[in-house]
Amino acid sequence: MSTRHSILGRVAVVGVASVGLAVALAGCSTGDTGSEGPVEITFQSWVPNIDQAVDAFNESQDDIHVTLETITAGPDGGYAKMLSAVEAGNPADVAQVGYTDLPDFLVAGALEDITSYVSDSEDLFTPWQWQSGVFDGKVYAVPQASGPLVQFYRSDIFEEAGVAYPTTWDEYYEAAKAIRATGSDRYITAFAFNQAPWMVGLAQQGGAKWFDTAGDSWQVDIDGQDTLNVFAFWQKLIDEDLVKVEADFSSEWNADLQNGNIATWISGSWADAILRGTAPDTAGKWSVGAVPQWTAGENASATWGGGSASAVLKGSKHPKEAAEFALYLNSNPDSVSILTSIGAGWPAISDISEIASLQDDPTVFDFYGGQNIWEVAAASDAAVDNSWRFPPLWSTLTSSLTDNVKSAIDSGTSLTDAVAQTQSDMVDAMTQKGISVE
Amino acid sequence: MSSTTRTQSRGAIVLFVAPFLVMFALFFVAPIGYAIVESLFAVKSSGLGFGPPEEVFVFFSNYVTALTSSSFLESLGRLVLFSLIEVPLMVVTAVGLALLVDSAHARFGKAFRVIAFAPYAVPGVIAAILWGFLYVPSTSPILQVLGGVGIDISPLSSDTVLFAIANIALWTFAGYNMYILLASLSSIPRELFEAAKLDGAGEWQITWQIKVPLLRPSIILVTVFTIIGTLQLFAEPLVLRPLTTAISSDFTPNLAAYNQTFAQGNPNLAAAMAVIVALIGFAFSFGFLRFVNRKENRAW
Repeated sequence: MSTRHSILGRVAVVGVASVGLAVALAGCSTGDTGSEGPVEITFQSWVPNIDQAVDAFNESQDDIHVTLETITAGPDGGYAKMLSAVEAGNPADVAQVGYTDLPDFLVAGALEDITSYVSDSEDLFTPWQWQSGVFDGKVYAVPQASGPLVQFYRSDIFEEAGVAYPTTWDEYYEAAKAIRATGSDRYITAFAFNQAPWMVGLAQQGGAKWFDTAGDSWQVDIDGQDTLNVFAFWQKLIDEDLVKVEADFSSEWNADLQNGNIATWISGSWADAILRGTAPDTAGKWSVGAVPQWTAGENASATWGGGSASAVLKGSKHPKEAAEFALYLNSNPDSVSILTSIGAGWPAISDISEIASLQDDPTVFDFYGGQNIWEVAAASDAAVDNSWRFPPLWSTLTSSLTDNVKSAIDSGTSLTDAVAQTQSDMVDAMTQKGISVE
Repeated sequence: MSSTTRTQSRGAIVLFVAPFLVMFALFFVAPIGYAIVESLFAVKSSGLGFGPPEEVFVFFSNYVTALTSSSFLESLGRLVLFSLIEVPLMVVTAVGLALLVDSAHARFGKAFRVIAFAPYAVPGVIAAILWGFLYVPSTSPILQVLGGVGIDISPLSSDTVLFAIANIALWTFAGYNMYILLASLSSIPRELFEAAKLDGAGEWQITWQIKVPLLRPSIILVTVFTIIGTLQLFAEPLVLRPLTTAISSDFTPNLAAYNQTFAQGNPNLAAAMAVIVALIGFAFSFGFLRFVNRKENRAW
């Protein structure tokens, strides 16, 4: 066995270092006067218009100057770019990283421990969102925004079917039957076999806890009883032809939203903008409610694929200032207001009273018949279980789950078998990577 | 020729060939070599995985993993099945189209050539998106009309999805292959046809006895192109995948390699898969060429 890492790494370092030198030299000419001027840090993100929030930070103080570097969205190549810059020793100081991807960054040794700089501010954030950046008791990222699950529904169709809004999954099943009876093409919802984060969210909302750490090992419990119950329920809906098996975000699904063949959609709070954009002609007919409960009277919630955080990359020359910026960006009310208005997602801070657009938002609320839908989102966000952990190899998990669910539907085998298969796929993949699984 | 001119011409040869050789080495040989090297390594973490991983030499372990993975073997089998559907379909269609356009009785020949070739100008991903619309009942006018008269077809179900993909490939490339064959047809001396007519041969006899035998080298070329093209099946299933439960993320070996690299974060295994597909393509293409070029007892 031999390591080849160091040789390739060195070649890369030489290449990137010379580029970095050129950039540094260029930087000198723009008035960087050493200790007297502000500390220069860079921030990599792909959130459209986030420059507004960066500008606001730069104007708010004189000690730190942030340069925004707009990059390709993480899964489309942005993460690869960040990770190779870390390996080359020339990373941006602060980077946009999804909650689901933070573990992979830790696996790559790419995150700076910022516990000492930010841990005092934990109280500002919703517990589960804060915890998404905490591993082994150390803080590695400041949460920015997420998508707590809510249910969008066509109140006019529920009225037509003569059913009340379902607060439990048992009621949901009855509502599915009633809505199915109102039209041969009409279903309560689409079973989005393509959408792993959606299925993971449903399992999480059902009380499942897929991943946890115990000492130096991961515990993987994808096929636990809570998850099996959730998938058995959807199996029943599919078997009785009460949901439409259809990919979400597909052209077929868009058409079904527009013509009312699909009456509900459980999704992240950010889905409101998608709904308004996809089916503008249905304005005023939609409402938003909490996700139905497995036990009546409970208040269990979950998220659609986590959210997005600001992490300080390993090798940053100014981790303290970088962490300071990350904290301000995601917790200062003015900054969070900007983030919310540019569509970054549901804010990670717990007190949203100062975020004006979440108090009153006529264009959004009108689409939902005047309902203040953000109250529902805020309640959902507060109810997300904060012990849920995203694992390393998240993308392996999503592609395995999607493949197994597809193949179960295609071959007529059960969804619970697909879940069991996903458990063994994920354990295999982690073990193969050398990650210890208990 | 004096020795100086010979040296000069050698210099000229090097000058003219060098750009090709440099590009060939940089963009063809080097990536293949890199893929082979990568396929012999693996990245390993330890414990919770939170720490820099290590890249270790694992010999042929990635090849063993690929060749013992049931889903990868299934994807290879699926690819062979797809080739069995696509290659004969493509060759027969392209030859048929070329002969029709070339026939003395063809009308609107020029217009038809352009129409048949036009799909080739549509990028593969766009073609797959367009056909994706036509394959899904709620967005397809064709399926809606058929459904209206009681014929319910779902082209993207697992029984028919290979044909649905074969249809897209056929639509895209049949016109292109037709052009290759037409070029070859037009180079056949017309005197041969006149002589055959004087001897009393009809159109059918001219087609079967003169045109098709003389097309043989081009038909072989088109077949080899199609074999290589089908082995690289990627864009169509990638685009159609979200629309159907019948296409998994490792539907074809190329898709499996893509998935390993970009979803599973295992480019080393992907490299091994890519090398396997390349070897199969090599074996198929050269096997076919050997088969049709046997000295005695030619296939036809």
